Amino acid sequence: MVDARWLEPPEPMQRVLHALETRAGGQRLRLLIHREPYPLYDLLDARGIEWRRRALADGCYEVLIGGQVRGA
Amino acid sequence: MQAGGLAFQQAPPLAVPLRFFLTAPVFLFLAGLLLFTPGAAGWQRGSPAILAAVHLVTLGFLAMTMMGAFLQLLAVVAGAPAARPRLLAGLVHGPLAAGTLLLAAGFWLSRSWPFYPALALLAAAVATFVLAAAASLVRAARNATVLAMAAAIFALAVTLALGLALGATHIGWGGLRGFVATVDLHAAWGLLGWVFVLVAGVAYQVVPMFQLTPAYPRWLTRSLVPVLMTGLLALSWARRDGRAWPQGAAALVLAVCLLVFALATLDLQRRRRRRVSDVTLDYWRVGMVSLAAAGLLGLFGTAGAPGHRLPALLGILFLYGFAVSVASGMLYKILPFLAWFHLQSQLQAPAGSIPNMKAFLPEPRARRQFVVHVAALGLLLLSALLPGPWRYLAAAGVCASALLLAANLWGVWRLFRAQGGRSN
Repeated sequence: MVDARWLEPPEPMQRVLHALETRAGGQRLRLLIHREPYPLYDLLDARGIEWRRRALADGCYEVLIGGQVRGA
Repeated sequence: MQAGGLAFQQAPPLAVPLRFFLTAPVFLFLAGLLLFTPGAAGWQRGSPAILAAVHLVTLGFLAMTMMGAFLQLLAVVAGAPAARPRLLAGLVHGPLAAGTLLLAAGFWLSRSWPFYPALALLAAAVATFVLAAAASLVRAARNATVLAMAAAIFALAVTLALGLALGATHIGWGGLRGFVATVDLHAAWGLLGWVFVLVAGVAYQVVPMFQLTPAYPRWLTRSLVPVLMTGLLALSWARRDGRAWPQGAAALVLAVCLLVFALATLDLQRRRRRRVSDVTLDYWRVGMVSLAAAGLLGLFGTAGAPGHRLPALLGILFLYGFAVSVASGMLYKILPFLAWFHLQSQLQAPAGSIPNMKAFLPEPRARRQFVVHVAALGLLLLSALLPGPWRYLAAAGVCASALLLAANLWGVWRLFRAQGGRSN
């Protein structure tokens, strides 16, 4: 779980990349962020990592990364 | 491309914006040097040294950074990257740089010969840029930023056309009727239509994103640019025909647009989510306070307030206080971000193995340059109000600030290269 809400770019991306490297056994990652992280999608696509995102009621976004998710 | 956000798949190579960003401070430095010359005393806007300095700032620094950023924005905000960006950057950047130097030389030396190549080079550079940008924008997603970019491109084309007509008349080609009115309109379309509208459109994206503020209110993003462009068209019609009250009304609308945008931005920044010190934020604040002051002076001007110093104060506040501040602040955010992002993409680097974004441009260095810039702004304003040594101190401040800015930006590039980054 990475809570990157109201962090200045590119800190959310840095935190996600760090979490991806330190996660155990391809574990799925849950990212909370205050706006759509388009540049992150590009990096994930480039690395062949699947992701799925969902808009939350409060205007933030939840992005599920890795594991068995399909790109949305 | 997802409208309303930023996407990077189609971002041009770093070399495309980089060449614009790294050369821009040189022109600011040259403008500072010109302020030392006797011709700059008195701040007469028609004096050769002031005309040369103003064009070094507007074309050499502002258009240079804004065009570089525009090529980036076409890809990441509009989702419509320019075709063959390396070739386009080469066709625009070289002629723009050479044309600006020749134009400034022509003004400063009061000679005709530099104007011939200057006008040809600037026409080629700006027309190429306008056509390429327009061709991309036709394919772009529709949002408030993209509409502002399109309006800014239109204004840039008008500014170029008026500038070419003025330049041709200046060297004795053709007889332009209403020379003074055309000078005013050239400045209005360039400063308000091109510079201000593009800054506003970009602000809709970058102020909430990087300064973690709430979004701009919808009424503002929907109406500001259309109202301002209508004001510019009305001013053009009234000024050419010499109609007094419609001119005053149009100028009033334009001044109110500047004030509304500046105050709305300061209000958003006051309500930002994270209260951490940030040079870019401080640059924007200086920019918005200067813009509000310029708007207020503009209101006084339309009310018929006397004062021969008004044009100089307005010019300094708008150009150096607002436009140069905002462009400098954005360079400090854009260039380290792009360097970090391209390095990350190119090297597929594990976290922690490449410098983070802040390491590309250490805050104390940026802060030092910001302090010098603000001091230079204060000295410029003093020198427009008071005789004496202020002009020399202001000139030294502008030069020092430009050199520090150049050193900071080149430092980002050096670190990028040292880490194994490729700019092409």
